[in-house]
Order: sequence, then structure tokens, then C-alpha cells
Amino acid sequence: MAKQYEIPIGAQHISLLEPLHFKFTTENEKIVATEANVYYVHRGIEQACCSKFKFRQVSFVVGRVCGLCSISHTTAYSQVAEKLLKIEIPLRAKYLRMLVIELDRIHSHLLCLSHVAENSGFEALFMKTMQYREFSMELLEAVCGNRIQYDFSIVGGVARDLKPQVAQSIMERLKKFIPQLDELMDIYKNNWTLSLKNKGAGAITKEDAMRLNVVGPFARAAGLAVDVRNETEDLLPWKEVGFEMVTETTGDVYARNMVRLRELYVSIRIIENIINGLPESALVTETKAFPDGEATVRLEAPRGELFYYAKGNKTQVLERLKIKAPTFSNVAAMTEAFTGNEYGSAPAIIASYDPCLSCTAR
Amino acid sequence: MKLASYRKKSPWILHYNAGGCNGCDIEILACLSPKYDIERFGMINTGNPKQSDILLVTGPVTKRNRERLVEIYAQMPEPKVVVACGACASTGGVFRGMYNCEGGIDQYIPVDVYVCGCGTRPEQIIDGVVQALAILETKTKELEESVRLNKEAIKENKQLNRRNIADEIKPVYT
Ligand code: SF4
Repeated sequence: MAKQYEIPIGAQHISLLEPLHFKFTTENEKIVATEANVYYVHRGIEQACCSKFKFRQVSFVVGRVCGLCSISHTTAYSQVAEKLLKIEIPLRAKYLRMLVIELDRIHSHLLCLSHVAENSGFEALFMKTMQYREFSMELLEAVCGNRIQYDFSIVGGVARDLKPQVAQSIMERLKKFIPQLDELMDIYKNNWTLSLKNKGAGAITKEDAMRLNVVGPFARAAGLAVDVRNETEDLLPWKEVGFEMVTETTGDVYARNMVRLRELYVSIRIIENIINGLPESALVTETKAFPDGEATVRLEAPRGELFYYAKGNKTQVLERLKIKAPTFSNVAAMTEAFTGNEYGSAPAIIASYDPCLSCTAR
Repeated sequence: MKLASYRKKSPWILHYNAGGCNGCDIEILACLSPKYDIERFGMINTGNPKQSDILLVTGPVTKRNRERLVEIYAQMPEPKVVVACGACASTGGVFRGMYNCEGGIDQYIPVDVYVCGCGTRPEQIIDGVVQALAILETKTKELEESVRLNKEAIKENKQLNRRNIADEIKPVYT
């Protein structure tokens, strides 16, 4: 047996956006074991949501759980609160929520792709992807009023309407974006240098993915067809707006890139369908009720299944709020997929998981 | 002597997330992207505290992060400037008072520039960093003077609302 070395990455590292600590045990460059330490950013949001804030304010607080998928958090919380209040939201609000979730997915996936490119050592592609990503930030700003932290969903509906000019500009920008996306697809798919770093790295089999309970693009890249948008129809009508499942088979970094890129096409189609068939109705359902009982909600965030549980007791303050973020399910598989890879490709593999630790630790 | 002039033209930044929501972090990343292109000021994002001049911190300091934050700050060479990015890095923001948060990085390290907003816009971050450049220059001058005249550098206490009874900082590696 060769000599084993322990190499740490984190908590502060150039390739990490967030404090995250991996300890690799390596044997001649090969990683044989990994330890993950993800709870650096625990802030105690759940507890504060059940004591400090009223239930209508909580939708703004949970947005601050994660800046990348804040709309998923606010929407999931709004939905669970609406279940507790037993109200139905207007149709237009549902479609607007879906619109912003998909726009958010575009920006999140492109960010992840650019990060993979950067950590694989392809700086030019990082710049290119970030450049193409700016359009989605501008559109989000036009729709919601802020580049990040949109606070778009509120309990009972949405906070803003979609103006016709904005809708038109979304369509125009998307039309411009499609050739750019084709170009990115071509590079990520066919670039030989990138494939050396990405093909076969960080692979996980379908059986392992099933056993370790993987969600999101990570699971879909391994061939598991799991997507909440495919399973739930009651809260947001995903199938009606043209959702399609995207899966790959190999389960490596390359497959994850492909899943993300192909999902962008689906997202674009969904956005176009929503804007073309946006129904007219009010934006918010008013109610004077207080949350009562228990409810759960599942929603597909950019990284996978997001789960909310809430319990109310007929007062302004919730009794319990539980958030289970997608990355939390993936941590076990994340440590497993490193085994057998070169240490040099570890940063690219970490980026390809698209870990979101502020979601995980809350 | 030369180093000082280079430093003004090319400050290197170090970014640390002390427990924020990622929102401000991706805006810092967006600053590096072609649209905002912070590199035209000669700034590069480095991962190494020992080579950097400006520390960009986001997030309220969580209890688990604060030792690391202080450690990183201590490892940076003088002169150094700290920029607090975002509402929660400046004051704690929405997280103020949560049980695992300290409420702002100025509880632990001196901050020179506060950038407001939740989340901050890239323009604001660039503005903050450019202001930090001016501060870096005065700090450099003070340091040089103290070296030339062979006297102690002036140490002002610029920490406004530092807690008197902040928890003790333990070394990260024991
Ligand atoms: S200021 Fe707001 S957007 Fe920025 S890290 Fe804090 S909570 Fe997130």
C-alpha cells in the first residue's frame, strides 16, 4: 500500500464560493476517502422564523436562506403557508411564479457551468458563460426589481405584475440567447481539452445514486428520472407549460454539464409558453385567517427537490418550520463520488455538484 | 518603494463568505465577468490571504466562521483594507439576533468601507472597492512614514460598535 496523505480544501479556497471543508485522503494522487464538513454557515433561520418573525414576514426571511435560489425558497414557503391558510391563489400568480423560477434556473445553471469551466482551468469559457448569463440577471431585475433576492412571491400571491413591455423584452432577449446557448452547448460538448477534465470525472452509478438518495441534476445525470416538476401537479401546472424530463446516463461531470445545458432549452420553452398564454386575473388572494394545522410542500429548485414543512397554531407566529434543501440530500453522494479520482480534478467535481451550503446549513 | 505604486494600480482582492446567503458572493463573481470587468482596475481575485490587499467579506459572522475570519485577516500583510459587502456583513441585516450569528463583521475585525444593499449591486461593490483603493493609499503612506521616521504607526480604533464582551477568539488550529 502506498503512503497516504491527507489534503484539506477549505474553509476558504479560491475555487469555493462558500465556506466548505473537504478532507481528502489520497494515495499517489488518487482520492481514496473523503470527509465533508458543511455546517459553517448555520445561522439559525428556522428558529428565528418560529419566534422572531410573523408568518407574513417569514417569506422574506427564507429568501435569505440562499441567494441563488431565493425564489424557490420564497415560493415554497408561500405555498406551504397558503396550505395552512387554506386559500387558493389566483391563476396569474401561479404562472408568474413559474416564470421567475425558470428565469432563476437559467441564471443558476449558467453560473454553475461557468464555475465548472473555471475550476477545470478554462478561464475563457468562464468569462464567456458569465457574459451570456448577464441577460438573465437583467431580465430578473426587470421582472422583480432586484438582481438577487427578488422577494417576488408573498403569502397569497405575487408582489408585482408583469408589464407588457417587460414580457416583450423577455421574448426578444430569449431569442437572442438561443444561438448563444447553442454555441455554449457546442463548446461544452465537443471541446477536447475540457472533455479531458470532465469526462469520467466524479462519476456515480445509477444504483449508487438511488441508494444515496440523490436529487436534482446530479441524479438526472446518473440516469435517475427524478424531478418534482414531473410529479406534482396540484400547486404549479408544470406539464401544462411544456415541462420535459432531461436525463443522461454516464453520471460524470460531463453528463451534469449536459443535463444543465439541455434543461436550459426546456426552461426557455417554458418561459415562452408562459408569456404567450398568461391568463388575466388578480395577483393576490386576501385573507384574514391565521395558519393552522400542518402542511408539506415540495418544489424543484435549480439544485433539486426542496422540501418545506410548517405547523401553525392559529397565531401570527408559526410553531415549526422545517427546510430540507437539495444539497443536504446530496452530501452523502458527494463524498462518495470523489473516490478513485485524481486530486487535481477535485475542484471541478466540487463545482459540478453545484453545492449550496447556505441552503444546507440554513 | 516601487511596490507601493504597483499596489495602487493592481490591488488583489480576497473574498470570504462569513455565512451570508451567497447573494452577494455571486455579485462579486459577476464583477469579475465581462460586463462589469473589475480587472480594468487591475484587480484579480486571489485565493491566498498572504498575497492580497483588499478583503471582501460577505455575510453576518456565524459562530463557526469567526475564528477563520480573524485568522484570514491576521494572515494578510499590512497595509490592508476590509470591505463589508452587503447589509448583513455591515450590520447583521436580516440575520441580526439569530442565535448563531454575531451581527456584522465589525464586531471582530476593523472595517474600512461598508457597502449597503441586500443584495448589493455590482456597481456598488465596484464603487466600494474603488473607495477602498484611496484608503489603501493613505494607509500605505502612513506606513511608509512610520518606517522612514522609525516610529510607531498611528493605531486609531476605528471599530464603531465593537462588542465589549465579544466571545473569546480561539485559534483555528490547535
Ligand atoms: S446582504 Fe442580503 S444578499 Fe447579501 S449575503 Fe446578506 S442576506 Fe444575502
